[in-house]
Amino acid sequence: MKQKKAQKPKPRVGIYGLTGCAGDQLVLVHTEDHLLDLFGAADIRSFVMASSNPEEGELDVALVEGSVSTEEEREHLKDIRKRAKILVAIGNCAVVGGVQAMYAGDGSFEQRLKKVYGDIEFVTPPIEALPVDMVVDVDYYLPGCPVSQSQVIALLGRLLHGFSPEAFPHPVCHECKLNENVCLLVQKKFCLGPVTMAGCGAVCPSHGLPCVGCWGPNEDGNFKQIFELLRSFGMSLDDITRRVRNFGGRKIIEHIKEQVKEVQE
Amino acid sequence: MSKLTEIRVEPLARVEGNGGILVTIEKDKVTDVQVRILEGPRLFETLVVGKTPEEDLNIVPRICAICNLSHKYAALRALEKAVGVQIPQVTQEYRQLMHHGEMIESHSLHLYFLALPDFFGYDNAVQMAGEFGEVVTNALKLKKFGNRVMRMMGGRMIHGENPVLGGFGRLPDRNTLLDVRREAEELLPFVVRTIDIMADLEIPDHMERETQFLCCKPPHNGYDYYGDVLMISDGSEHPIEEYQSVIHEHVVSHSFAKRSRYNEEPFTVGAIARVLLLGDRLEGRAREAYDKLVNERWHRNPLYNNHAQAIEMLFSLEDMIRTIDRILEMEPQDIAKPTRQSGTGTGGVEAPRGTLIHHYKIENGVTVEADIITPTAMFLDDVEAFIWKGSETLLARNDLDDIELNLEMIARAFDPCISCSAHLVTVVFK
Repeated sequence: MKQKKAQKPKPRVGIYGLTGCAGDQLVLVHTEDHLLDLFGAADIRSFVMASSNPEEGELDVALVEGSVSTEEEREHLKDIRKRAKILVAIGNCAVVGGVQAMYAGDGSFEQRLKKVYGDIEFVTPPIEALPVDMVVDVDYYLPGCPVSQSQVIALLGRLLHGFSPEAFPHPVCHECKLNENVCLLVQKKFCLGPVTMAGCGAVCPSHGLPCVGCWGPNEDGNFKQIFELLRSFGMSLDDITRRVRNFGGRKIIEHIKEQVKEVQE
Repeated sequence: MSKLTEIRVEPLARVEGNGGILVTIEKDKVTDVQVRILEGPRLFETLVVGKTPEEDLNIVPRICAICNLSHKYAALRALEKAVGVQIPQVTQEYRQLMHHGEMIESHSLHLYFLALPDFFGYDNAVQMAGEFGEVVTNALKLKKFGNRVMRMMGGRMIHGENPVLGGFGRLPDRNTLLDVRREAEELLPFVVRTIDIMADLEIPDHMERETQFLCCKPPHNGYDYYGDVLMISDGSEHPIEEYQSVIHEHVVSHSFAKRSRYNEEPFTVGAIARVLLLGDRLEGRAREAYDKLVNERWHRNPLYNNHAQAIEMLFSLEDMIRTIDRILEMEPQDIAKPTRQSGTGTGGVEAPRGTLIHHYKIENGVTVEADIITPTAMFLDDVEAFIWKGSETLLARNDLDDIELNLEMIARAFDPCISCSAHLVTVVFK
């Protein structure tokens, strides 16, 4: 008797957006060459940006974009975590908190909220942007602003086949060198490439423009050195600190404690 | 049906429980309509205070991925006025090209992938591919082309930093421009065919009511997506600097996106507003499409925004070709520099989903004040008003089988910016 080959069920995937620009989900929608394959290879249970009628049950993989910026989002994220075997934070807002977290911890949130909205009580209380891992455990991080198309497809490909994603711990300089660009820092121009996560293909330096750090801090970055170098170009500590924080979210603070302290003094 | 009934269309803001349309019906009467936008606040206007104009330009496009270049463009127009940057004509042409790329990207995504599946009874475009394979394949090509132009001018597909104060970091070479021009010509017949598809759609009338329309008036006699004058369907025109006295913003507790009124009443912005206010300026195939599709119901029915987007995709493809032809005759120019350190500027562009206004005050090279009004914040009140009217009519007709889908389609037709608001999905009766 011929044995029937058991059909392996397709991995169940949910793709979610909290507070952000939706750019990381849009990167997936814009993978024209892979979009139909993706819907074929995975059982996309929930991807409300692209499809109606989501099913909110158990998931093999959940991708979460955006920061946690309301109490309702905090509860929603906890629910996703409960249902998902693997949870991946995708994009700068989910990984570090995003631009909306650039002033995190300085105590200005309430005042800024009031400045924009006045005195009003919303149906869900707003909170100052939190990265996803300040609310739930995160299995993998995919930085980006937005994430790179090739990296997100590679990550999904590996996860869908039961493998771990490959780490890419390089700074922007790594990709900048591969593009054979002339180093902006060597020309004594501002650039945050050495302390910023790569994966973008060093796109800004390749256009003759400085890296503004939009993929967030590189864990291995030598922050002390970049501050010293930029100061030697005549930039003020204030100026450097402000620029480093633009896309550093809540995670940058641990890297630049001394500098922030010096600015405050 | 005498008890209190709630109709919830959720999730409106992309996640269940995180928003949605809430219609309350009491004793056969609609008593409340809320389009709930509960994605958290990001406070962009406060984020840029203390920053240089260059940093503003890095930060503000992050408001929205789909129309990031419209935000960049509006911010550029405002900041260049503030610090006295005069851009050369060739730079304006390149910006035009960039903007057309975004129109095609955004309109094709919305029309074929978000709106059309509703009309044909599918959950998404991938499902639709079975019956309409050729349309979906070509729509993917068209969207990819829009993305290509955004990448070419923006530096990357989303959040590119290539457009800078006074110019661009890097410009495309002649062969790339010629290739884009060729591709635009190749895509024209598919968009012309789309006009026929739109002409054949049956458009429900349950939500029809009079409204007001607003858009930027171009600085020339043609159709366009920018300008320093706000043009309104009551015939009035206002300098963009006076936007705060024209558009009155207010805050509601069920939405982190603000709301707006003109003359105390809701209004519509977007492709339908532009085609109604500027459509007689169209030429070529876009003009033929205009003559074929526009009728007097457009003034009362927002579902025709889908049709208006189809017309604009034709205009953008045709105008892209004209723009490239002009660029090929021009010499590249250096990046224009600021002539002052302090000043105030207001910039208006038409984002794919409507009028977008950025306003900045710069003192000694530092931003001291910023104000941004997004198209979604302008039209949300009108979305609620049309949903109210639609609910009433459907109740009166006892036509309740697809009431959620019908109401969802109204909101979707406005093409609310996915990040500043909405995408709608599940329907739950309570």
